[in-house]
Amino acid sequence: MRWVRVKAIARRHWYVLLRAPQRWFDVVIWPVVDAVLFGSIGLYFGSQNSGGNGEEAAGFLLAGIILFHVLFQAEISLSTGFMEETWSSNLLNLLTTPLREVEYGAGVMLFGLFKLTMGVGTVSLVALALFAFRITSLGLALVPLVALLLVVGWAIALFVIGLILRVGQGAEILAWGFIALIMPLSGIFYPVSALPGALQPLAEALPTTHIFEGARGVLAGDGLSWTEVGIATAESAVLVCGAVAFLVAMLAVFRKRGYISRHV
Amino acid sequence: MSEPTGDPVLRAEGLVKQYKRVRAVDGVALTVGAGERVALLGPNGAGKTTTLMMLLGVISPDRGWVEVCGHRLPHRRSEAMEHVGFAAGYLPLPERLRVGEFLHLFGQLYGILDPTPQVELGLARFNITHLTSAMGNELSSGQRTLVGIVKATLHRPRLLVLDEPTASLDPDVARRVRNGLGRLCAEEGTALLVTSHDMIEVERLCERVVFVAGGRVVADGTPTDVAAHFGRADLEEVFLHLAEQALEDPT
Repeated sequence: MRWVRVKAIARRHWYVLLRAPQRWFDVVIWPVVDAVLFGSIGLYFGSQNSGGNGEEAAGFLLAGIILFHVLFQAEISLSTGFMEETWSSNLLNLLTTPLREVEYGAGVMLFGLFKLTMGVGTVSLVALALFAFRITSLGLALVPLVALLLVVGWAIALFVIGLILRVGQGAEILAWGFIALIMPLSGIFYPVSALPGALQPLAEALPTTHIFEGARGVLAGDGLSWTEVGIATAESAVLVCGAVAFLVAMLAVFRKRGYISRHV
Repeated sequence: MSEPTGDPVLRAEGLVKQYKRVRAVDGVALTVGAGERVALLGPNGAGKTTTLMMLLGVISPDRGWVEVCGHRLPHRRSEAMEHVGFAAGYLPLPERLRVGEFLHLFGQLYGILDPTPQVELGLARFNITHLTSAMGNELSSGQRTLVGIVKATLHRPRLLVLDEPTASLDPDVARRVRNGLGRLCAEEGTALLVTSHDMIEVERLCERVVFVAGGRVVADGTPTDVAAHFGRADLEEVFLHLAEQALEDPT
């Protein structure tokens, strides 16, 4: 892997963000909206319950939405990074250079980490400024939880990229669709037991469910459940292996069927 | 069939590509020697672009193999592409990048740590240094083509592959492209593989032509030899003859 190529790809995507104001929506506007929305919902419903603590309820929701943004920003930055190449008909240019697939992925992920820092930083700052909620109250437990969400986000993006290679730009909506599907099933704001019974086995199969369960345990003062972290790690490993295998297979189909003609 | 001169920079044997019921390429073999200037010609649907894409590793052949500077595709595609430059008249420049940034990006993708000298040299070679700060989407099609060729030559490739480089260009810009390519090949010893529908351009630029029809190589030699092979006065007439044949027998 050549570092100069990885850096070049990361810089290319920085230029795109710099010159496309609408791209700031994902990294600034949406995080602000989410923080205000879920913080306010938490405060209101918390204060309505008899003896309820509005700030505590807001804290649960805000922790959920901040961690959700780690997943969302990781997934969306990698998948839209690839989409940018299809939107600007740059795929053929890239495929005829020595750039390796892994170098391209590393470059977009590197820039994605920068976007993620901005997006999660924004939502965290708004939560702190408006609702006095510190995400750092999760302590060191944040490290494995964030790392796992990052990996899961990237794995979902690899699935999306594979689908775009296979079926074309019509699959782009799935970059947002998969996340929307995972959000209610993962129990971001509630335990899995709150889901309808039929959906609970599906939720248990998702690594995100165990990550958010782990986060709720820390917020409740029970400490980090290493069982939940262990299950999430195992499920994430399966997901990553599946995503990489799927992407490699779709890339082979893309080359075999000459689908580059869709992108020039 | 004429033999290429010099060590081959490109070797392909028995390339076959089938799309559902259409056999786009049917056993194409092609060798390009170092510094050789070759045109790949044929009517629309003859299999030129599919062949080019297989030579570049973008499309995988159903059968056959491709070797670039001794590197066999697809396993050594990255190493092979270090020796190849590609530009196409139909490819836009990515939006939201200035010409200088675009060229730096691709210089680095070709592995050059600081491509500034190569970028300046390339822009000067085609007399477009004034475009350095222009945004990619502000360029005319002629300027875009020139920038695309500069991009493809930053790393001094041993083989330059150009798909329809002068399509939709006015005669003046087309001549600048031809002159720039001629200088590049003379100075750097770069081999050229070009597709074009402009037979006059081909006769001026290339010393060897390979005609493809129905996915097969039907003639390979100097422009004069190929015209003589078909009993025609020039390449234009050969092209029209093959295009008529393709219409009569689309299979």
